[in-house]
Amino acid sequence: MIEYTGQTEWVEGRGILVWLAFFFIELGAGTFLISSMFASLRGMILGWLICTILGGGLHLLYLGHPLRFWRILVSSGWKTSWISRGLYFVGFFLFLGGIHIILTQWASPDLGLLIAGDIFAFLSVMYGGLALSYVHGIPLWNSGLLPVLFCVAGLWGGAGVTILATPSAGGITGVDHVEELAPIFLGFYILLVIIYLMSATYYGTTGKLSVREMLVGKRASIFWLMTVGMGMALPLGVAITSFLAGIASVPPPLVSMIIILELVGDLSLRYCILKSGFYNPLVSSRNQ
Amino acid sequence: MRWGMVIDLTSCTGCYACVTACQQEHFLPPGIFWNRLMISETGVYPLLENEVYPVLCNHCKETICVKVCPSGATQQRKDGIVWIDQEKCIGCRYCIVACPYQARSYNPEERKYLGIVQGLTEFGRLGKEQYPQQTGVAVKCNYCMERIDSGLKKGLKPGVDRDATPVCVNTCPTSARHFGDLDDLRSEVSSLIRRRRGTSFHPEFGTDPSTYYIRT
Repeated sequence: MIEYTGQTEWVEGRGILVWLAFFFIELGAGTFLISSMFASLRGMILGWLICTILGGGLHLLYLGHPLRFWRILVSSGWKTSWISRGLYFVGFFLFLGGIHIILTQWASPDLGLLIAGDIFAFLSVMYGGLALSYVHGIPLWNSGLLPVLFCVAGLWGGAGVTILATPSAGGITGVDHVEELAPIFLGFYILLVIIYLMSATYYGTTGKLSVREMLVGKRASIFWLMTVGMGMALPLGVAITSFLAGIASVPPPLVSMIIILELVGDLSLRYCILKSGFYNPLVSSRNQ
Repeated sequence: MRWGMVIDLTSCTGCYACVTACQQEHFLPPGIFWNRLMISETGVYPLLENEVYPVLCNHCKETICVKVCPSGATQQRKDGIVWIDQEKCIGCRYCIVACPYQARSYNPEERKYLGIVQGLTEFGRLGKEQYPQQTGVAVKCNYCMERIDSGLKKGLKPGVDRDATPVCVNTCPTSARHFGDLDDLRSEVSSLIRRRRGTSFHPEFGTDPSTYYIRT
């Protein structure tokens, strides 16, 4: 509180569950959204399951009183609280998406239902970023770019999971388009990370310190090795190679490996952002 | 009416009496503090000086914690006091993360090892009866609202009569803490803020805290 103290509740100890829950909610919703666009039923089911079991389950596990979560539904918290809104987004997405999956599997799918489900899936992808960006005390988080960054990361990850899920579905015609879409997300993602970190340095000393923590401080090894190396450089290398040589030249095992690395990169970036989020000190020490 | 506190930093000696009194008044479990002392070091060796800042919930007028609470557990009363209904708290800790003053903490799962061998002390037993603290919820200072409410019922005036005044104010040996109605321009706290230029932490957040500090 005098020095620059880091946020701990949502990343240390049981807080790790929040870090993972945000990731899986956004990955699951992103997977459903991308899969629905390319009519990959298997992708939609996988996305729905990731969001429900991993995203929702981890969120509930983190709560001090998980059995009281229904109180969110009966309070008017949705007017101002992003956690509350997030529950509604995810809840509606899972409900509408679940019905769509059932209809697609056993009856005829309804386009209106799918569009409504996709809208809530999109809002669910944004949810984690919006919840963090509302925290005024942590300049690194208090950025309008954070929801956009998390959204692109969720959709990019979703595209990756859709590709992973699709081959075993027996060859969906749209999969090639998903593979074409992934490098576009990658480009946006890299650009957004750069702009986000650059803009964070303008949020005063605390913002600069948070960015320094990520780039040259205690989180530097995770950031450079996992976020940049695994999550950006390798997929970018493969994307450029595949662009020059044609998508068909990339062996499927390599594509799978790159997607996994990309997910690891995204997860590590979120960890770095959560861990490097410093509060503005209440008073400055040492004659400042 | 809006209750507020003024802390005179020139009088505070950093004796921790307020911290201890608060612990005792609310039967707080080990490791949980509603009232803390921040000690800042200024100067250059060997001419160093410690600056002591007693910190507690600011009971902001524009509350971030109330806004982020998804279950409606954190509430603001008409008199400005921000409190947590422990029965409604789900333990998501969004309020703890969102509070820019880091005034809140989480009461973790009960420490089973406490009281196993020798049993609870009489004080511990009394605390469980009189002020049961739930675990798995967010906790913070409530300006001793029970004392204020019971005092008002008896016709006492908070900030003037001890039985209606927060215990940290009562216990301060140097009278560094003052309590009263910020909306009343004739109250001691309003007068102190005006005369001695009371300031709050991070006014730029637009939260309008009810806890003020006097530095000169």
